[in-house]
Amino acid sequence: MTAPEHPLLARRLVVVTGKGGTGKTSVVAALALAAARRGRRVCVVEMGLDAEVPDLFDPGGPPPGGRGREVHPGITALRIEPYEALAEYLGLQIGGRRVVELVLRNKAFRQLMDAAPGWRELITLGKVWHLEQMRDGDRPRWDLLVVDAPATGHGLTFLDVPRVAVAAVRMGPLRRHAGWVEQMIRDTRRTVLLPVALAEELPARETAELVERAREDVGVAVDRVVVNAVAPAPFPDDLPDLDRRLARIPDDAVLPGLPRPATLAACATHLRERRELNEHHLEAIARATGLPVIALPLLPEGVRDADDLIHLAQPLEALEDAA
Amino acid sequence: MSTTIAELVGERRVVACLGAGGVGKTTVAAAVALEGARRGRRAVVITIDPAKRLADALGVAELDNNPRPLSPARLAELGVTGGGALSAMMLDMKRTFDELVERFAPDAETRDRILANPIYAHVSDALAGSAEYSAMEKVYELAESRDFDLIVVDTPPSQHALDFLDAPQRLLEFLDSRIVQLLVHPAFAAGRFGARFFQRGTHRVLQVLERVSGVGFLEDLSDFLLAFEGMSEGFRERAREVRSLLLGPQAGFVLVSGPSRRAIADAGRFFDRLRGGGVPVAGMVFNRVRTWPEGGEPPERIPESDEDAALAALARALAAADGADFPAERAARAAVEAVRGYASAVRRDREATAQLVERTRAGGRFVVQVPEFSRDVHDLAGLAAVAGVLFAESHDG
Repeated sequence: MTAPEHPLLARRLVVVTGKGGTGKTSVVAALALAAARRGRRVCVVEMGLDAEVPDLFDPGGPPPGGRGREVHPGITALRIEPYEALAEYLGLQIGGRRVVELVLRNKAFRQLMDAAPGWRELITLGKVWHLEQMRDGDRPRWDLLVVDAPATGHGLTFLDVPRVAVAAVRMGPLRRHAGWVEQMIRDTRRTVLLPVALAEELPARETAELVERAREDVGVAVDRVVVNAVAPAPFPDDLPDLDRRLARIPDDAVLPGLPRPATLAACATHLRERRELNEHHLEAIARATGLPVIALPLLPEGVRDADDLIHLAQPLEALEDAA
Repeated sequence: MSTTIAELVGERRVVACLGAGGVGKTTVAAAVALEGARRGRRAVVITIDPAKRLADALGVAELDNNPRPLSPARLAELGVTGGGALSAMMLDMKRTFDELVERFAPDAETRDRILANPIYAHVSDALAGSAEYSAMEKVYELAESRDFDLIVVDTPPSQHALDFLDAPQRLLEFLDSRIVQLLVHPAFAAGRFGARFFQRGTHRVLQVLERVSGVGFLEDLSDFLLAFEGMSEGFRERAREVRSLLLGPQAGFVLVSGPSRRAIADAGRFFDRLRGGGVPVAGMVFNRVRTWPEGGEPPERIPESDEDAALAALARALAAADGADFPAERAARAAVEAVRGYASAVRRDREATAQLVERTRAGGRFVVQVPEFSRDVHDLAGLAAVAGVLFAESHDG
């Protein structure tokens, strides 16, 4: 595995995307943990209906809201709600809070905004840009922003909105601001897109398409792929065909306290075949994208707390050390 | 009254598969349509985003927004004989919208003006709900055509369960809204009565929008909405009819979920929202569930009794089958370890799904568990395997 030229954690903004079910949010949390363990001040940005990252670090804690909450030493999580961000933006543009409130409470305005495409993405990215620009004295407030982007397809559309806005809006402040956001996304030293895949057919194929479109259409840097939930090798290295040996045991053999030989063999075969399927698609992803692949282990119980996250953070850190 | 998945496929006109992304909805939808064809129906599956191999297998690799019938050879391979037929199509949102504009535009000039509008070009496949709208539009069109007995639709992944049903309505409300009227007829709306009486707030909104977005944008937007104005009646009629088709006795909704904690939580939310919204859920498919080879639950502990005796017996059995030059004891330990791990994964999936399985069954709805396969399922053989599982279980009730 070759180390990519520019380390992941040296970026300012990592946008994590992946198809539903790939464990994208766990990877977001693990990446934040990897960075925080290296002394970075990290801000995790979510934009779904519910904030999920805080629960991975600190189950049962209060929701982070738009202001954010420190969920782990060095990690602040926040959730961007489009209408809140819009209020903030209009406040900055127009000034008077009363006018902004009037506008936002207007039924017609809500109707227009509920149907209108793109603005949620734009305002969310605008807020991310704002977070990236924030400073404490002479240093940035956040060393690293990790964004949990919408699922693939939608994930790229999300990043493409500023470009579309610049094309569709002819002039005015909106166009200027969209331009700043677009610049941030296309700045390969500041920003990187991190696709999360599974080593299975659909996500593997979709990841290859995502990488191609990200480079060609959106112009965002992609320089490695995370493959999550990779099944471990089920048997010791020198016994790769253990399931076949189990299958050769006659079914009338007496194995006190154990399931029938055929059951043992069936379980073992399933594990071997799942592993082989994962290995096949790991290679396919590496080949199709031409990128280094970081394999994260399948956690049998999923992510329950910060201790589980360390198993996912370690492989991410290892690559950083190699770079 | 309970419905089995087999009855659904044999009797209903429309089956909609709902669920979060990544749970295998497309595969389930394709397998359901295949089963319909096997039962002699003329079936069509509308997919949103099929895997390449599935698309190839079904013969819909080309995205042209029209159903493509599978060849007789492919159908025979899939066990479809007699009068059954299977078509598949991949939804193209932009194309569906263009077709709507072409159908409902009052004249050629309006049509061309809409199709050429810069906002339309960017917006028609991005307008909130346009994926759902175009899927429903296709369902309506295919139902109306009478070419098919069974329409299976793989709905777009969404955060809200009801998006599929509600998005068209929201789109129409928006097109009718006051602010749209104001954008379309600014002169009228600025007239004395209107402006002073109810539209002062809305005028303010427009001023703010203009200040932020620039003048040109509002002009393009207004032109786009003006062009749509004459068409909303046609849109509304169709949206109303497809909604009543989907909520009526001829349709059935199937929720699809995976076994992960996250997927189960999403599916539970979907289930509640659908029921809250008065949508009849016929049943649920749990996909990629790890199952115990003998069926039922795996033993609590493996081995159940004396570990040393069990390992020794297994090592002897392995050595007897394989000869002596083989680390039989280490192999026995590794085998037990692996099987123990698998058994605990099976138990985990059972526990994760148990509550939702019970809630689903409580209302007389069906539950089908499709096991995790150790191969990709996105070819004809895989599809047949999934269909086999889906419809085998429904027979034993």
